[in-house]
Amino acid sequence: MRDFAYLRADSVEAARNAAALPGAMLLAGGTTLVDLAKCGVAEPATVVDISHIEGLDAIDVSAERAVIGALARMSHVADHPQVKSHFPAVSEALWQAASAQLRNMATIGGNLMQRTRCPYFRDPQNFPACNKRAPGSGCSAIGGVTRGHAVLGVSEACIATYPGDLAIALVAFDAEADLGDRKLKVEDFFLAPGATAEREHDIRPGEVITAIEIPGSAAARRSTYLKVRDRQSYEFAAASAAVGLELEGDGRTIRDIRVALGGVATKPWRARAVEEALKGKPLDEEIVRKASELAMEGAVDHGANHYKIALAPRVIARAILKLGETA
Amino acid sequence: MTVHEMKHAASDSARLEAVGGRLSRVDGPAKITGAAHYAFEQRLEGLTHAVLVGATIAAGKVTAIDTRAAETAPGVLAVLTPDTIMALKTASDWFGTPPPDRPYCPLAREVTFSGQHVAAVVAETFEQAVAAAALVKVWYDETPAIVDLSDGNAGDGIAIDAMTKEWGDAEAAFAEAPVRVCAAYNTPREFQVAMEPHGLIARWQGDQLTIWEPSQWLDGMARTYAEWFGIPFENVRLVSPYIGGGFGSKALALAHSAVAAAAARMLGRPVKLVLTRPQNFTSYGGRAATRQTVAIGADRQGKIQSIVHRGVNETAVDGMWVEPLGSVTSIMYATPNFSSKQNVVRVNTVVPGAKRAPGENPSAFGIECAIDELAYELGLDPLEIRLINYAERDPHAKKAWSTRQLREAFATGAEAFGWAKRSREPRSMRDGHQLVGWGVAAGTYPVRRAYGEAMVKLLSDGSAEVESSSIDMGQGTYTILAQTAAETLGVPVEKVSVKLGDSRLARAGVTGGSRLAGVMTGAVYKAAGQALDELIGLALSDPRSPFHGLQANTLVVKDGRIASPRGDGPELSVAELMGMLGCEKIEAKGDTVPASFTREQRYNNYTTIAMALPHTEGDYSRHSWCAHFVEVRVDEDFGTVRVSRVVSALDSGRLYNPKLAESQWKGGIIMGIGQALLEEGIVDRRHGRIVNGNLADYMLPTNADIPDIQTISVGIPDPHSSALGGKGVGELGIVGVAPAIANAVFHATGKRVRDLPITLEKLI
Amino acid sequence: MTSQHIIDPPEDGHFRNGGNNQPSPTTLSIDLTINGETHSLDIEPRVTLLDALRERLALTGTKKGCDQGQCGACTVHVDGERVLACLTLAAQVEGRSITTIEGLADADGTLHAVQAAFLEQDAFQCGYCTPGQIMSAVACIREGHAGSDEDIREYMAGNLCRCGAYPHIVAAVRQAARELRS
Repeated sequence: MRDFAYLRADSVEAARNAAALPGAMLLAGGTTLVDLAKCGVAEPATVVDISHIEGLDAIDVSAERAVIGALARMSHVADHPQVKSHFPAVSEALWQAASAQLRNMATIGGNLMQRTRCPYFRDPQNFPACNKRAPGSGCSAIGGVTRGHAVLGVSEACIATYPGDLAIALVAFDAEADLGDRKLKVEDFFLAPGATAEREHDIRPGEVITAIEIPGSAAARRSTYLKVRDRQSYEFAAASAAVGLELEGDGRTIRDIRVALGGVATKPWRARAVEEALKGKPLDEEIVRKASELAMEGAVDHGANHYKIALAPRVIARAILKLGETA
Repeated sequence: MTVHEMKHAASDSARLEAVGGRLSRVDGPAKITGAAHYAFEQRLEGLTHAVLVGATIAAGKVTAIDTRAAETAPGVLAVLTPDTIMALKTASDWFGTPPPDRPYCPLAREVTFSGQHVAAVVAETFEQAVAAAALVKVWYDETPAIVDLSDGNAGDGIAIDAMTKEWGDAEAAFAEAPVRVCAAYNTPREFQVAMEPHGLIARWQGDQLTIWEPSQWLDGMARTYAEWFGIPFENVRLVSPYIGGGFGSKALALAHSAVAAAAARMLGRPVKLVLTRPQNFTSYGGRAATRQTVAIGADRQGKIQSIVHRGVNETAVDGMWVEPLGSVTSIMYATPNFSSKQNVVRVNTVVPGAKRAPGENPSAFGIECAIDELAYELGLDPLEIRLINYAERDPHAKKAWSTRQLREAFATGAEAFGWAKRSREPRSMRDGHQLVGWGVAAGTYPVRRAYGEAMVKLLSDGSAEVESSSIDMGQGTYTILAQTAAETLGVPVEKVSVKLGDSRLARAGVTGGSRLAGVMTGAVYKAAGQALDELIGLALSDPRSPFHGLQANTLVVKDGRIASPRGDGPELSVAELMGMLGCEKIEAKGDTVPASFTREQRYNNYTTIAMALPHTEGDYSRHSWCAHFVEVRVDEDFGTVRVSRVVSALDSGRLYNPKLAESQWKGGIIMGIGQALLEEGIVDRRHGRIVNGNLADYMLPTNADIPDIQTISVGIPDPHSSALGGKGVGELGIVGVAPAIANAVFHATGKRVRDLPITLEKLI
Repeated sequence: MTSQHIIDPPEDGHFRNGGNNQPSPTTLSIDLTINGETHSLDIEPRVTLLDALRERLALTGTKKGCDQGQCGACTVHVDGERVLACLTLAAQVEGRSITTIEGLADADGTLHAVQAAFLEQDAFQCGYCTPGQIMSAVACIREGHAGSDEDIREYMAGNLCRCGAYPHIVAAVRQAARELRS
């Protein structure tokens, strides 16, 4: 790890000022930054520790909306009673992420800044080519070991999977990130690689995420996060789905549905085609399974990750049908 | 001549502290409080830190190394390259084969695998060394690599004639058999992944070298260091008080060990070098990738007529590893015709090595899946076919088994598991979205025997000490040797202290192949017996003793008190007696080495593996045995496999401590679950490089992946296998687990997966 | 934390690039409160809590298994919650209360219920992951995640054990949770 200067910010204002320094990076929980600094991927000149800023970890939840401070830790949000009751998919996405220790460290704001787990991205010594790290250098993953790589939102520049869980639920329920001077949809905060794989987030120098806001809805109240992976725990998703469901009074016709996918795309992936195909339709297994296939429109595989194209719709369908069983 | 009787009465076994008792680990308190200092946790004055630089190509030459930036980085003391590291001598291999007279350079000029060490940086602090190592620039002249067994340039490899086992006319009998199965079974590159990484601290004091290093073999590694540096064996001291897991990986001094020791010599300061977790995947070999074809011909009743087996494993360009793939194939079932042959193929990898049950593990995967396939082909129950073909004696060695409680294992395990309730058809058991499958497989591991020695001391306060340069990496050596000494000496176990893991203590051979418990309990039993003999002899002969002149030819020591066997005469504590005798201590170094052994043979007994006794020596074939019964649940949509139940019945002979043996068995079973479902070193075939060399991407089972596991001991004491009747424990548990799971997956899904691991995309 | 490490925004509220306002890597003087004792350290900012414990403070009970947040061997408590010391900068936890395995038992040596249960259930073999397992288990029980075997397995999944002591770890956590409740 390269040496760096350490600054501790005691206010958001100080954090913004420090974040504008050249080579400055914000440190909250440390689970991404310290890790990537050890890998040689992150080489901050200055680390700005924002974890001691008071008051940024508040969790304020009602049926109408959840406002979660950027420094609230994943474990605290996951176990929050109102988050569990009004936004179950958010709680489930959180407790299925990483491990108990990492969830105690990692913050909600930091979680949005989590980087891909692409093994080529994480190993600059052995794989100098990576458009995320060095724009224009090429993509080492394409043609390599691609079992975990994305099939949606990929480009010739990058096929790295967005690894997180929380953001999948946030995207499903139209959450917004508060950057101080502006708010933007979490879905728009994340950028697909296109020709600029190095740009993963719509965040500008000096900007600091201060909170996440999630509007309440019937679909958010009846929601779940289903994560499929090789081992039972402590692993990133092979495919995951955040799903919310609202039925008409007949208890059968779908009024509102939200579907977002994880583990298969370069960014948290809202599956609007699935939602549109199911709105107004009866909650029927055949219909749900068929509609879930629409999530894979435009999917491109690179060999070893081909299974994700079959797997992801099944994860969506299972999650929707499971919600249908819960009154 | 005094004689003391040492009997292992059944009632003794019930006692916690006696051999066979469920004593908790005596090293446990240190481990649960953080007080146990592992090898490279020693604090030394002036300690420096070394970090290695690995090759980023799999084959080729290092053409230049630019060390300038690293050398001027803060805190850097030295940057070592092939050109600047001191010259070492080549050491002998683990058979003791005299080495060629040429220098050994642990930093590579000629790169034969990705990650091979090419340079090292030594600095005042760990952080400085890490940062400076990243500044070392290396240029290569890259040449094409052979990346794995499927590489177009890999070829058929080298035939290993010593692995050929044949009787009858196997190919002809297979061709004529009315029922035949033939399939290929593959296992990937796997890694031991001890939680404690490899590493060491090396310190020179004049020509004396002290190495603190986790080690499964202090004497063997000390020999290597001595030969590298051309110093007497006695000048090397290896210290390894606790070992954070080895599983076969920590028996040899490796290139990184040489780098650290050389750096310490060059700098005149102690050097600590610990491999990073990724380096633990490239600096020493895991289990070689293997491929086997197993062909079984049977009659219509299921009786095997022939087995034809062909195997291949990968090895390195500059080193040889043979993973004996026919080891279980040749003994598990009775067959009149048999043929097994094996090749090895050189690929650009670090030399593969021993991982828990090398040979037996992949061998069992082949034969135990194949017999399951034969059972379905015949419409027989998988348990039934195993009993139909039960080998009443060793079909290869043509000798009687010393003990083989495998039939009992099948019966006991099946009963506990509820096997009789199994529905035969694949895909016939379901629980919601989960397809449920039950599978069975057997396992075995040979009893590896060796000669050993131990020092036992009786001290004037009535306590005892056991000393040995053998080690405890979690198997429970500290505990069972305390139990053995306590029982033999007749002193309470809490009065016995056991010192291990220091090569200055009584010598010991390798801890591997599940041999240590048998070797060391035998040696301690003998040494303690000698110490006791001496005490009793003194008690009867010394005029100061209250037993002097007693009409007895022996005395009995129990619970630390000594008396005549008839109970007449005095009774007093051992401490009191030793006080009366004016005896500070009684020392007895006991060994099981043949008296005819020369000094050289004794040295080789502890520093090579060449002196081990064949498991088929004499009239018997000696093995431990087991049967695993497994339930899996496979999600019908996702293809994910979870093991939901395991019952294993195991025959390890007599158990010295069932509590610890059960832990080891379960550990083997859990490692087998990982092997079956998760573990695979994935090679980027463009670069010949493992891309998942870390604990997030090379997946071990987590706690959430493991169900309750029931282990049942069906062993009986085996007097032909060890002094106290035990057979091997540590390796046995893993053998047969992967095929049991693969067989259960077939039962659940109707899909036969013959390539490990059984990941979801293979079932989706 | 000395004042030089706290950011005092310049008068106009903006840092300038370069010049005197550009902070430089420098050794920090920090105080860490570990197991109730204060330790003063002069360290580089990049030093992790794990390396501070093991290399500077001789508290080697906290183990380094992977050094990249993937094994749990370095689990310690910060302000009573379990975290990974390998991904925590030492400087970051100044002012927090840190507990390591060495500080878990009572001052008189009486074992914590979790430690005693690990010994009784033989919930370890080599012992290298054990301090992390125990620190994690203490927190797991405190968090209320030890109510069922299924919960214990899930909430202990961040501590890898290669010896395969998992079923015994579950038994030990279950036993300790019961004892601590009563």
